[in-house]
Parts: sequence; C-alpha cells; structure tokens
Amino acid sequence: MVVYSFYIFDRHAECIYKRRWLPRPSSIVGSKSSRPTSEASAPATGPPAVLGQSARTTDDDAKLIFGTVFSLRNMARKLGGEDDNFVTYRTNQYRLHYYETPTNTKFVMLTDIKSPSMRVALQQIYINLYVEYVVKNPLSPTEHPGGVGVNNELFEESLEQFVTRVLS
Amino acid sequence: MSVFSLIIINKAGGLVYQREFQPGLRKLSTNDYLVLAGTFHGVHAITRSITPKLPLPVTAPATTPTTSTPNAVSPSATSTPAPSTVTHSFPNPGIPATGLETMETDKFRLTCFQTLTGTKFLLFTDPTMTNIDVIMKKIYELYADFVMKNPFYQLEMPVRCESFDRNLTGWLRGRA
Repeated sequence: MVVYSFYIFDRHAECIYKRRWLPRPSSIVGSKSSRPTSEASAPATGPPAVLGQSARTTDDDAKLIFGTVFSLRNMARKLGGEDDNFVTYRTNQYRLHYYETPTNTKFVMLTDIKSPSMRVALQQIYINLYVEYVVKNPLSPTEHPGGVGVNNELFEESLEQFVTRVLS
Repeated sequence: MSVFSLIIINKAGGLVYQREFQPGLRKLSTNDYLVLAGTFHGVHAITRSITPKLPLPVTAPATTPTTSTPNAVSPSATSTPAPSTVTHSFPNPGIPATGLETMETDKFRLTCFQTLTGTKFLLFTDPTMTNIDVIMKKIYELYADFVMKNPFYQLEMPVRCESFDRNLTGWLRGRA
C-alpha cells in the first residue's frame, strides 16, 4: 500500500503538521524524489511545489481536507448519534482515513484505495509517537500554532520509520 | 444486513427524494435533510479536487531525449517544463477522478452513486452490508422506470411518484 500524505489538525482547526510522501517515479531510479518531503520542518522546499500542485498550494490542500473531514464528521454525528465516529471514505483514486482523539486533535491520512483500515495505525501514531514525542516533550508548548513543537526531529524521524517500515 | 435510507440529490445539490426504509439512523427534520444534501454535494466536489497528484517522471535534462516515457505528455521537448504541461497523474491513471464513493462510520456506511447527468444517489446501509452495487443498480433502474418515464415528473424537482415508492419498498422488502 502507498501512503500519500498525513495531516494533524488541532482543536482550533489549524493544521499543525503535514507531510507528503511523493512516490518515486518508476522510470528514474535513485533520484532525489525518493526522499519524502516535509513541509512542516522545511517550508522553503522548492521541488514539491513544482512537481506537485501548480495552481493550489499544499496549505490550501490542508484547509480543504479539514473542511471535508469536519463536514463528514458532523454528518456522521447527526445521522448516527453523538457517539458515532467518521472512520474513512474512498473515491476511485484514493482513500482518506480519519482518527479523532478525545481532545479533538484530528489525524488524517491519505492512502491508495487498496489499503486496509488505518484507524489502528493512526491510533498508534497518536499513542506511540504524538504523545511520546510531542505531548511529553517538556520544551513543547501546549498549543502548537504553526506546527511549533510538533516538527521536532524525534517525531518526524519516528513517523518516517513507522510509515516506511510498518505500513508498507 | 439492512438498508436504512435513500437520498437522491439533483445536479444542483438540491434534495429531491428522501425515504427511510428501516430504523437505525436518527431522524432529521426536512430542513436538516436539505442542509445535508447541500453539504454532501459540496464535500463530494471537494473530495474530487483533493485527489493526490503524483508527479510524472519528467525526463531530466541530463538524460537523452530519446527515453521519453509513454505517459508523459511531451515534457521532454524543453528541459524546463512549462507550468502548463502535464506534470502529474492520478494514482489510478486512465480513469477520471470521481468524488466520494463510499464513506464509513461506526454506525453506517454511505454509498454514493453519481449518474452521468450528475444526479447523486446516497444509500445508507449497515456497515457490514455487501453487494451494495447490486442494490444501487436496481434503485437506479427503478428511478429510470418510474420517475424518469413518468410524464408528469418535472426534471430537478422533488420526486413525488407513488409507483416509485411502492416498487422501491416492495423490492427492498422482498430482498431482506
């Protein structure tokens, strides 16, 4: 399975972490695009903006994704009751997985359509990575405006390992 | 194994049909259903536009220009691709991106079928339900037979066809 991107939104609807994995083009072996790009730690990355979206930035993408999951989550709660949770949706091109913590931090992951349910994986990211390396970090602020505190080395490195080793 | 309800949304995002077959979902007011239809219409369009775009293997300036990939649309003519050339593809190339097709929550599964003319059929079922496409196809067939062929039905207006209701509930009851 392929993971395309991963987002964390805080309870103020702000995107505090986003990361995209660009699959390596099949014809070019060992090119620079095999390395994932992280917009949260390095805002001045040139290549992904050129290669990925030209008209819309990844910033706007995060806002659109938040709007989508927010609407679908409300729809699920309206129809299924207050204890219902929106889990996933699928189009013919990709699949979006959603996990929300009791404190309203939202974890969103976009994968290919063949992937199984990633709810447990997102929960693992929250428990084993986010709580361990962001929440328990004494230097990290309680709120993360603009991704401050989330984009630390340990979290990014372990997220990278989790996605490349555990999920593929 | 149950079908909770069916919603039909016209191509402008207006609610034209809503019917509950089995209890299981919370009842909403008519106004809320209208809001839901409009919201879904918007979300459906957004889910299509946030489809991940994968960069195409643009031939680098260093490589020979003869090794042009078949799916790249002539980006190798110049070394720097112009912004207008196609530099990305969808994960599932060859077919156009659709919006949301199925959505799952703990309590229900929502399956959306969009016809070629833009009408959307939303079917709410049990999350464990299988063969939803068969049900969807039959519903579309009944819609074509009893709504579209009804000479008194005005396009894009709410569906008030008694025979459609009767056949729909009859068929679903016969299935269960």
